[in-house]
Amino acid sequence: MEIMDFVKYAVYILIFPGALFTCVFGLWLAGVDRKVVARMQKRKGPPITQPAWDFLKLCGKEVIVPAGAARLMYMAAPYVGLVSLIVTVLFIPIGGLQAFSAGGDVVVVLYLLTIPTLALILGGSASGSPYAGVGASRTMVSVMAYELPLILVLLAVARAAGSHVTMDGYSILGATFSLEMITRVQELIGPLLFDWRLLPAAVAMLLVIPCEVGQHPFDVGEAETEICEGPLAEYSGAPLAVFKLSHAIKMFVMTALFCALFLGGIGTGMLWLDVVLALVFSTAVTLVCMTLLHAISARFRVEQLFKFFWTVVSGLALGSLLLVWFC
Amino acid sequence: MTYDVYMHFPVIAIMTLFVGAFLVTLVGKRQAARNAIAGAAVLVSLTLLALLIKPVMVDGEIIMYWMGNWEPVEGYAIGIAIEVDALSLFFGLLITIAVACSAFYSFQYIKQDDARGSFFTLYLMLSGGVLGIVLSGDLFNIYVMLEVMTFAAVGLTAFRTWNPNAREAAFKYLVVGSIGSTCALLGTALVYAQCHTLNLAQISAILPGELNPTTVLAFALLFTGFGCKSFMFPFHPIAADAHGAAPSSVSVLISGVFTKTGVYGIIRVCYFLFRSMGLSSVQIMLVVIGCISMFVCVTMALNQHDFKRLLAFHSISQIGYILTSLGLCTGLGIAGGLYHAINHTLFKGLLFLTAGSVLYATGTTYLENLGGLAKKMPKTTALFLIGAFSISGIPPFNGFYSKWIIYQATFEKAAETGSIGYALVTVVCVVTSVLTLASFIKVGHSVFFGQLRPELAEAKDPPLGMRIPMWILGGLCVFTGLFPNVMLDYIIIPATGAVFNAVPYIDTAMGEGYAAAHLASTSPFVTPNYTLLGGWDPLAWLVLFVVVLAAVFLCSLAGRSNRDVNCAPDSKHAVFFGGEEAQYSHISGGDLFWGFKHTMRRYLGFVSGAHTGVTNDYVLWGVTATAVIIAYCFAFML
Repeated sequence: MEIMDFVKYAVYILIFPGALFTCVFGLWLAGVDRKVVARMQKRKGPPITQPAWDFLKLCGKEVIVPAGAARLMYMAAPYVGLVSLIVTVLFIPIGGLQAFSAGGDVVVVLYLLTIPTLALILGGSASGSPYAGVGASRTMVSVMAYELPLILVLLAVARAAGSHVTMDGYSILGATFSLEMITRVQELIGPLLFDWRLLPAAVAMLLVIPCEVGQHPFDVGEAETEICEGPLAEYSGAPLAVFKLSHAIKMFVMTALFCALFLGGIGTGMLWLDVVLALVFSTAVTLVCMTLLHAISARFRVEQLFKFFWTVVSGLALGSLLLVWFC
Repeated sequence: MTYDVYMHFPVIAIMTLFVGAFLVTLVGKRQAARNAIAGAAVLVSLTLLALLIKPVMVDGEIIMYWMGNWEPVEGYAIGIAIEVDALSLFFGLLITIAVACSAFYSFQYIKQDDARGSFFTLYLMLSGGVLGIVLSGDLFNIYVMLEVMTFAAVGLTAFRTWNPNAREAAFKYLVVGSIGSTCALLGTALVYAQCHTLNLAQISAILPGELNPTTVLAFALLFTGFGCKSFMFPFHPIAADAHGAAPSSVSVLISGVFTKTGVYGIIRVCYFLFRSMGLSSVQIMLVVIGCISMFVCVTMALNQHDFKRLLAFHSISQIGYILTSLGLCTGLGIAGGLYHAINHTLFKGLLFLTAGSVLYATGTTYLENLGGLAKKMPKTTALFLIGAFSISGIPPFNGFYSKWIIYQATFEKAAETGSIGYALVTVVCVVTSVLTLASFIKVGHSVFFGQLRPELAEAKDPPLGMRIPMWILGGLCVFTGLFPNVMLDYIIIPATGAVFNAVPYIDTAMGEGYAAAHLASTSPFVTPNYTLLGGWDPLAWLVLFVVVLAAVFLCSLAGRSNRDVNCAPDSKHAVFFGGEEAQYSHISGGDLFWGFKHTMRRYLGFVSGAHTGVTNDYVLWGVTATAVIIAYCFAFML
């Protein structure tokens, strides 16, 4: 029995939904994103496996550490970011499958998700490049920008899920931060996306996702046409590959989080089918909030981005919170 | 050990510090002897309090010590009492830990100062005063200790007399601090007039039943007095000056310890003496003051150009978290507030000591004159990162755990009361947290990362004697973050229980049944509910992290590794400059976060403009705050 548990957790951590699966699925999502953007712009676009090939190619390249860099931080940052992302996936329920429920709390997930961004900022900062300095500063501004609407969305969802029912064995205090509970509530009352009061929050969340991931049009921090990919300006070889991989995984993590918060509870009762369904939803959300936006819009300036998130997006999320509270 | 033995520990712990303060002056100019005396004094008081964890925290005893054996006569406590319950011990422990670490750091740190003869006298007076406040069971005694502490702190702020900023800061501190002292003294006098006693336990039994204009005035005055000592908004500007100008090891005390006595005083006043926390008006007052302190000070911190001033504003911002959390008056709220109090002492102590190390190595803490120190001071950088991650609430460090409890507590309160205001408090807490992260990114980038300034090429890590205290604080930051259950079970929950239930505190001092005879209700404020605790297990997260890290590491070993160890200063290894020849160009702290600063320029301009630096203005703020608090209490408490 103990050996079976051990094997089960090893599979969770290393294969599914842990390290191996997140990497492969993230790279696949990135490929789909690129392909569909290309098709929307009437280009042929790269094959869907292109990000994976890019990753492998970069791993084989020479690693250059700039002479002025703080070496340890520069080398460690990408790996810390990647690992903390993979660990975060383990706490997010994917189609009813949650590898580890302890710590499956939306606030904890929110904070765990800042670690990869922090790693990007500190890694760039440690490289000593002025481009990276500007990029780090802009990335941090985008973090400040999306954090306010994101917490408002989370509070609205927590309130909506918590105010519903007292379920067997659980007494809910009118609010819950637990991802497990949010999923269970949705099994009873249907996906929260179909709750009209939460629609503005869902829209806000769809706008937060590309900003959190650093996708166009919110990629002020990496803006390759202005500041040479900002924090990544000095990176080369395997560390760069790892940052690119983290970026791809982040697309998956954020869309999975959206599905857990708003699209939970849709299922057939068969676990594997539910998981596949959740992955399909993830892909769909990616196409809506990242690919479509990418294809049709130009990059924000950094102060426009900040203003947009603190007024429009936060307004949507706050509206949702007020509706949930008073309706 | 029996009660007869350890009942003497608290008083000895205080006495040792004061006796040490005078002994230091007797040994003449021998610095080694001074250091030995100061080190012994702080270690003795730390050990004595640590020995009390078992009886007080675990077994739930309350230690009662009547000075000179003046026990209560005919129901009146006329002697001076030292009464140590779990709450007092909690604050005593965090004080002595910070005092000990900072004292050992000072040995090396003040070596180059000319006035070091008086340093440890003042230092030990300050420590003794602070410890005296939290262990005392007598309201007037608390006031006396408050003055001892304040004057020692003023002296230490101006310790580097050659620095005009230090003299100015000390003067401001003296003037504005005296508002707080006056309020505390007046409040004490009014309480004495009402109750004819100064014993905390007896007042706690007699006073709560009689809410008349006099007692409300006394409450408002005591609240303002202790609030001033905790540098809550709008008393915060003096803290910024004082923390910034004082030697770093003293800043640790002023920021990590001194402010906590204010918090302790507020807890005693609100939860014990007047038992007024049940009133929603008092809860709202604390939460609002906490939120304003939190947000205003973090935005001020983002604007600062000096490492230590920036840290100073963050202290008040963190005090805001503590006050907000304490104002909720729920089990989770108190636990979160107390947890954050101890965490704040640890990480802010660590950060001030790293700032001191930077000053020691480079002679400046001005952000624009620093850069790239990670190459020269790797150990200090590592310690700074521990402190910065802790204060910004990055899991699994300690700041995250306490902030997480606070978020849950505020939202739980919102759900319980149905008031959306408390949900917005959660939002303010989270936004403050991300702004805190931003300002530490700013410090990290402009001091430790980025390009090395040519004139800093000689900087190096501080000596071992300064690093050990920093490692102890850093280790404690990691420990309290990774083992929250140990902290909760042995330290936080007992202290929280003591806050809720004043009855044992009263009965130990005045005799069994005294509380029941005087108080209208002897039941605790609320039944603490800790069900929301423990959902996040940092240790499990760390295990997962290590497992995945190992897997990634193995993969990277298996792959062809092309690590270039040779960093020759050729063009290949130079920083990319768009094809031009590389030159020195550091993005300094003042240039960061333009998008944020530009969007918020009106607000930031207003807040910075309001902090004029003129003592008269700050006094005006203080007096206005006192008036507003008094008016508020009269309007909503009666």
